[in-house]
Amino acid sequence: MQTVGEIMTKELVTVKPEDSVAKVAKLMERTKIGGLPVVEGGRLVGIVTSRDIRRCHPNRLIADAMTREVVTVPHTCSLWEAKELLERHGIERLVVVDGDYPVGVVTRSLLYAELGKYIDALTGLHKAEFIQRKAMELLQDGKEIAIIFLDLDNFGAVDKKLGHVVGDEILCRVSKVLGDVVEEGFDYLFRYAGDEFAVVTVKPLEEARKLALRMVNAISEEKWPPGIKVAASAGVAGGRRASPRQGGFEPYTLSDLINMASLASTRAKKEGRQVVVAGEVELRETSCI
Amino acid sequence: MSSKTGTYLRGSEPLRKAEMTIRLSEFEIPPMQDALLVGKRAPIGPEAVRRMVDALSPEQYEIIRIEHQVFEAAVLKRSLLKLLPAEKLLPILLEECERVADEQAVVKAQVNITIQVSRAVDL
Repeated sequence: MQTVGEIMTKELVTVKPEDSVAKVAKLMERTKIGGLPVVEGGRLVGIVTSRDIRRCHPNRLIADAMTREVVTVPHTCSLWEAKELLERHGIERLVVVDGDYPVGVVTRSLLYAELGKYIDALTGLHKAEFIQRKAMELLQDGKEIAIIFLDLDNFGAVDKKLGHVVGDEILCRVSKVLGDVVEEGFDYLFRYAGDEFAVVTVKPLEEARKLALRMVNAISEEKWPPGIKVAASAGVAGGRRASPRQGGFEPYTLSDLINMASLASTRAKKEGRQVVVAGEVELRETSCI
Repeated sequence: MSSKTGTYLRGSEPLRKAEMTIRLSEFEIPPMQDALLVGKRAPIGPEAVRRMVDALSPEQYEIIRIEHQVFEAAVLKRSLLKLLPAEKLLPILLEECERVADEQAVVKAQVNITIQVSRAVDL
């Protein structure tokens, strides 16, 4: 999981509380930086942005212009956690700290550029890495999760018969159809690979099965262009933690669940069924390694 | 020789003079009297005021940050607060000062408090 420490700007430009607003305004103009950490004795005491500067008299001290409550993160913070913080606080940058000492800055544009690598360019859905992180987060919160693995039926034939451009258009439309079925805050949809989609949901296994059925039906019932038939099969696997949480095992439990759901979708396809439930498992940490 | 543009010596050279007026008065310590109200967009903010007060009159003033539409901080003389607590004094000061000042201002106030006591004793 990529962290802010890996992408942050390490060459910090900082100012002191006793600097004047006029001086810092010139510094911002020269360096083209819109927000500077305020440091006293090496410790972070505030942050001053170009907005603060515009609102204040140039004679003022930075101590009287800065924001004292700085949103900071440790260098180990994941990119997604950093993104959530930026959006929750409506700010443009996070100061990366080691204790009280600033060690870097991560801006919104830098973070979004990096996170863009985890967004599927064709469908706009998150790639598998994001959902793995989301599922791990849910497991760490002690929530029960279920994985729905959905595979389009015979999609290779569509590509071969109609070409990859049409195939890509169908994949985009499938992602929209699925996006309309899932429930925000409960279900997290992603494109796993090729014509495979997956959902991590916090719904119980039976609810997850019903959701999978709705997804499969929504694809079948969509009005596709003449001559094109798109259908899907889905597999569902659910899990709950069997013993108290101990760190470091979540990726394995999640991989197990994804694999079970994937195999269940293959079975559904072979047996001509819409949805196959692999069952619910207890995510024992010893069996996850 | 003189002309409309000035006084000339030996033909074309102008004669320039400087006049000086000096007014001497004592610099008040502390310069902020009894109370100071700092406007939200004043040239100095509460932190600058704190540093000034700490340097000029240590331990004699109290700085109170306030939520107000015009002012963001008040500096009050501690001896004054022994006569009248801040929660009584500040609303009156704010009410009067906001009539005459805006966010850009730093207002200095001299406050005289007279306490009237009337007591009766049994004879």
